[in-house]
Amino acid sequence: MAKVRTINLPHYTAYPVHICMFKDVKNAAFLRKQLLEANPEFDYAFLDPTMILTPQHILSATLLSLHLHLTSRAKTRTPHSELVFRLHPNNNIGESYRKFGISDDSDRIIAVKLSLTPEITNESVGQHLGSVVEGESVDVGEGVENVGMWCDVEKVKKVYKLDSNGGKGREGGTAVNGNAPTNERKEMEAVMSGVITLKGS
Amino acid sequence: MIAIGLEGSANKIGVGIISHPSPNKPPVVLANLRHTFISPPGEGFLPKDTAIHHRAWVVRLIKQSVRQAGVKIKDIDVICYTKGPGMGPPLQSVALAARTLSILWNKPLVGVNHCVGHIEMGRAITHATNPVVLYVSGGNTQVIAYSQNRYRIFGETMDIAIGNCIDRFARTLMIPNDPFPGYNVEQYAKRGSILVDLPYTVKGMDVSFSGILAAADLLAGQIGEDIPEKKRLRSEEGELVTKEDLCFSLQETIFAMLVEITERAMAHVGTAQVLVVGGVGSNERLQEMMALMARDRGGSGFATDERFCIDNGIMIAHAGLLEYQTGVTTKLEDSTCTQRFRTDEVFVGWRDD
Amino acid sequence: MASESADPLPHAPESQYTHTLPLPFTNSDLAVLTQGAEALVYRTTFLTPHTPCVLKYRPPKPYRHPILDKRLTKARLLAEARVLVKCRREGVKVPAVLGGDWEMGWLVLEWIEGRTVRKVLDEWVHRLGLRARDGRDVVDLADEVVQRDEGEMRRLLGLMGRVGRAVGRLHEVGVCHGDLTTSNLMVRPPGDLQEPGPERTEDDLEGEIVLIDFGLATQTIHEEDRAVDLYVLERAFAATHPAAEHLFQEVLRVYGESFKGAKVVLKRLADVRLRGRKRTMIG
Repeated sequence: MAKVRTINLPHYTAYPVHICMFKDVKNAAFLRKQLLEANPEFDYAFLDPTMILTPQHILSATLLSLHLHLTSRAKTRTPHSELVFRLHPNNNIGESYRKFGISDDSDRIIAVKLSLTPEITNESVGQHLGSVVEGESVDVGEGVENVGMWCDVEKVKKVYKLDSNGGKGREGGTAVNGNAPTNERKEMEAVMSGVITLKGS
Repeated sequence: MIAIGLEGSANKIGVGIISHPSPNKPPVVLANLRHTFISPPGEGFLPKDTAIHHRAWVVRLIKQSVRQAGVKIKDIDVICYTKGPGMGPPLQSVALAARTLSILWNKPLVGVNHCVGHIEMGRAITHATNPVVLYVSGGNTQVIAYSQNRYRIFGETMDIAIGNCIDRFARTLMIPNDPFPGYNVEQYAKRGSILVDLPYTVKGMDVSFSGILAAADLLAGQIGEDIPEKKRLRSEEGELVTKEDLCFSLQETIFAMLVEITERAMAHVGTAQVLVVGGVGSNERLQEMMALMARDRGGSGFATDERFCIDNGIMIAHAGLLEYQTGVTTKLEDSTCTQRFRTDEVFVGWRDD
Repeated sequence: MASESADPLPHAPESQYTHTLPLPFTNSDLAVLTQGAEALVYRTTFLTPHTPCVLKYRPPKPYRHPILDKRLTKARLLAEARVLVKCRREGVKVPAVLGGDWEMGWLVLEWIEGRTVRKVLDEWVHRLGLRARDGRDVVDLADEVVQRDEGEMRRLLGLMGRVGRAVGRLHEVGVCHGDLTTSNLMVRPPGDLQEPGPERTEDDLEGEIVLIDFGLATQTIHEEDRAVDLYVLERAFAATHPAAEHLFQEVLRVYGESFKGAKVVLKRLADVRLRGRKRTMIG
């Protein structure tokens, strides 16, 4: 049984979002294979945790994916594949999977599952992932605040084309130049959710 | 009190006689006559020819309106004329006629701002007390709201006037000028249905039409029947675009711009009333769009019919009489006219709200 | 007279307050903030129940051809979002874009804590007991108080300077606001004060300036556009804050030093003032 955190996106509370994190994963190749074969049992967004910065980062992409799926405007088959696609600023699906998806040798994974039907619950997700992911389940935190704990900030900056300070934030603004990691992430996520929103337009 | 008004700032010469029975009673139109100088299709009206036209008609119209009104010369209190803005030579012809009358009849003169004439006539006809005014004609495009004894301009065209844009567009498409180009464009537009993309230029509360005119001219060159079918302009669905469609697209685009800036001004001053005046204000589609916007804001749109929104003498008589009643007259030596005369230059002494 | 043309155009009583919101929003969980000509603005939460945000919805305009309406709504929302993202990238203080749907006409922006410059100045005037009958008196009183109290003066000029610098930064990155009024400038209190306290006093003048409402913004580096931005702001100060009008000099002084090219804009501003931004017109 994996530790799953379930949160409700405001305005889309009918579709709870289940998130879990794993470390020391041994069977990433198997999981990836299921995705490639479009095995319906494995309709998850398996994400590379080094590319996830903050809860807002993952949730803005999740909400938009769900929204586009429900209004029949998604570019990919399911809201889960759409989430992987939405995270990347460019419009290339393969590139999105390479950057934000898992690879055969991933040992850490973030899994996201949307309850599109009532059968999908915190329990069912925990049970299924607990049984198929060979790895150690890690608590995501009540407000999924831990999703960013394995982030490689420099890699994220590169993909979103952010310079070293999140924004430039020169001129003694109070928070930005403090360079405290939380402030830097706040500045970064502010730009990133905008970039995710603007993707493709 | 009774006033006679002479208007001739563009291609129409108008003479009107109005009576203001008492401050609390509505004004009464005693006569409202007009004659329009119509140029051949593809041509605009030139200042010189227009002035000749006005000179040829002014005496006839004055005589006729006095007869129609059933008033005696001695009953007329004041002679009002359009001081501006407008085209120089036609304005001068009419000012000259007004001065002549003033000397002949020994009556005072009042020079009237043409735009203020439109606004006051519109208010009187529609009973809209304090509306945002959209003034749209061949020479003007303004969004106006009253504040502290001035009609202040909130937004306006940054280049050509809307009526000018429509007239020139009509000329490009060889649409007749009789009775007036805007009327014919409106009739064509009623039969159009394809919306062709045109530049939509709104900047705050200002608009620009020159880009649209250039684009429309370009499109007009792609729909002629002399052009091979393969090269002719088509809609996304592959239908051939017609003159009617271009008129439709022009109206939908430029009127949407006007309604948008008007709505912005209404939000700004916090009123839900809107009044459309000026020749272009007689367009039914524009009136309909204005009414839809006003309704959406929980208010009402007002417009006058073509007797009053197209240039006329009665509005000059009406606005002039309002001013005359505050004790203002124009001395003979000051009874000039001016091509440039901003709406907000006039002190509106007759309103105290 | 002419009673047949005296009727108002057809009109029904319902108003825009009854607009149905686009997916996924419903009226029940939203609080209306403002209803401008263009957009309905609501306060709500987004992404998490603890993330306050602003929802801007541009409802379809019934008077506009549906194709044109869609085109304009999309173009404007996109332009606004692009400008905001650009600003955030460059470190200009503006709300972040949290989400949006151009086809459906909505945009969700970060909630900015604090008060508008307009409100801050109003409250400042009020606090100093400067409510006088007309503008002149207020100006004189303000001058007097400011001259008496150096600390007050320093704080006020500090605020003005920050406004000047904020506008300068915006212009420097190639954006003009298009509707720069004192209501579109927020004073965000320093971090630890972000919880809305009951009574704040002199600290009101502290805090960083955040620019909001980019619905009319454009990406431009033309002096004319920049000068018009300043002119509009100057008029806004003059119109709503007689006591603060003369302080606008400080806004301009700091603006002038905020980026290369700012001085030229100030020169242009003098032209715009003379012109009143309006041209004379012909018939």
